[in-house]
Amino acid sequence: MEVSTVYTTQALNSTCSISTPAKTHLGSHQKQVVFYRRTTKSGSGGGSCVITCSAGDSQTVVIGLAADSGCGKSTFMRRLTSVFGGAAEPPKGGNPDSNTLISDMTTVICLDDYHSLDRTGRKEKGVTALDPRANDFDLMYEQVKALKSGVAVDKPIYNHVTGLLDPPELIKPPKILVIEGLHPMFDDRVRDLLDFSIYLDISNEVKFAWKIQRDMAERGHSLESIKASIEARKPDFDAYIDPQKQYADAVIEVLPTQLIPDDNEGKVLRVRLIMKEGVEHFSPVYLFDEGSTISWIPCGRKLTCSYPGIKFSYGPDTYFGNEVSILEMDGQFDRLDELIYVESHLSNISTKFYGEVTQQMLKHADFPGSNNGTGLFQTIVGLKIRDLYEQLTSSKTAAPLEATKA
Amino acid sequence: MATLRLHSLPAAREEIPTPPSSVSNPRVLLSPSFHCNKKRVSRRMAVTAMGGGGGAKYKGTQMREKQLTEMIEKKVTEAKQVCEGDETSDECKVAWDEVEEVSQAKADLRLRLEVEKKDPLESFCQENPETEECKVFED
Repeated sequence: MEVSTVYTTQALNSTCSISTPAKTHLGSHQKQVVFYRRTTKSGSGGGSCVITCSAGDSQTVVIGLAADSGCGKSTFMRRLTSVFGGAAEPPKGGNPDSNTLISDMTTVICLDDYHSLDRTGRKEKGVTALDPRANDFDLMYEQVKALKSGVAVDKPIYNHVTGLLDPPELIKPPKILVIEGLHPMFDDRVRDLLDFSIYLDISNEVKFAWKIQRDMAERGHSLESIKASIEARKPDFDAYIDPQKQYADAVIEVLPTQLIPDDNEGKVLRVRLIMKEGVEHFSPVYLFDEGSTISWIPCGRKLTCSYPGIKFSYGPDTYFGNEVSILEMDGQFDRLDELIYVESHLSNISTKFYGEVTQQMLKHADFPGSNNGTGLFQTIVGLKIRDLYEQLTSSKTAAPLEATKA
Repeated sequence: MATLRLHSLPAAREEIPTPPSSVSNPRVLLSPSFHCNKKRVSRRMAVTAMGGGGGAKYKGTQMREKQLTEMIEKKVTEAKQVCEGDETSDECKVAWDEVEEVSQAKADLRLRLEVEKKDPLESFCQENPETEECKVFED
């Protein structure tokens, strides 16, 4: 059991009450603080008392990211870990095919590691990786719960090269745990452990364009094979993965642009950031006037943009029965000053200084999406998560201090 | 494919506007993607000319790359065969899912090598330089 905080004991009186640890309504562990009193006078009843913190579980914040684009190496993850500082690296000295990424503050776990069936097993049973039957949700829940409450776990490794399940690796509880993969919000027990969840919703046309860019250089692939692969996976995707978006606190939806008629190259993108209202510690980003409906073209007298330009819109809406706010960007950034101009007009972006979004985007100017809404919104969501983390950890450090006063 | 991945904001020689308050790391605003546009273009071309194979430092990684390339080809052929009978069958779905899995694995490896310029075997090979996998290749 790890001791993470130390309090001075002078304020306490000589008697202490022992309380039996009770489970919170969330059913999670409570951290126990063991006090040792130095007895300066004889007969003052020394020994240790156990005082239970009423604040509840430890300070690991858990973020879920649903994406169909592989694990832990995606651009979103890199941007997110970058916001917290430091680069995320695979665990040193371990299995080189590990999917895990570790930085100072964050650990990113790939949910493919919870496959209950390896490639051969799935072939035998006739299930794709998208099928819940190929995944061990009990283990996923146990381990995410353990990490959240400060307990290290031996997590299996799914090797994407060999298609086998490799021996487990030790994962220590980080400050921020990100679980990324196909099913972070599928199991309701796992869903309840998430402090924030994101769903990356790529439309079919864009998915096709991206996979062409990804695969066309490979021997063996052709337009037909790429298309066939998407089509074959679509039924399972629609049945098991897509429904998770109703549970997400933020959805990043990527669509083809509306600025260029009949564009099918998928280079210029229309990206929508759909943010759930009423989520604790998360205040949606807005343009100009919160809760109103805005349509904004920043290009004009003060800012010159090249074709096809940039168009923003913002407004309230409902999404699967939830109240949401949607911020949308269509088009692309051509120059640094466009990015700064746009940043200066957005509100609630949780930056620590003017130009932080721009700086983060520039840091990764060679990542895909650096010139459009995908990079912009991924960066902003990263900053919102940092904000959420800081709010959560400051509220948790406040609570134990109150318990000692009582 | 490489074109999109290395796409950068090409504002070459314009004056970069300074924000009202000072930015903590001014070096970032002058990142190479703004000044070295031409250099970046030629680097991009060099990568595609090599067929995207640049960056693998250790033999083990080169072998893995080769293995994945062969697997993609093999699994696409398999999938086409399996699906000839019934496109909606489970076997067909699974076959194309395997193609997706290895295609993504290859893409991830490429991304690591080309963009991050880190060989995945780096830390393993620091500890075990004498193994077969850790033989270093000249670029």
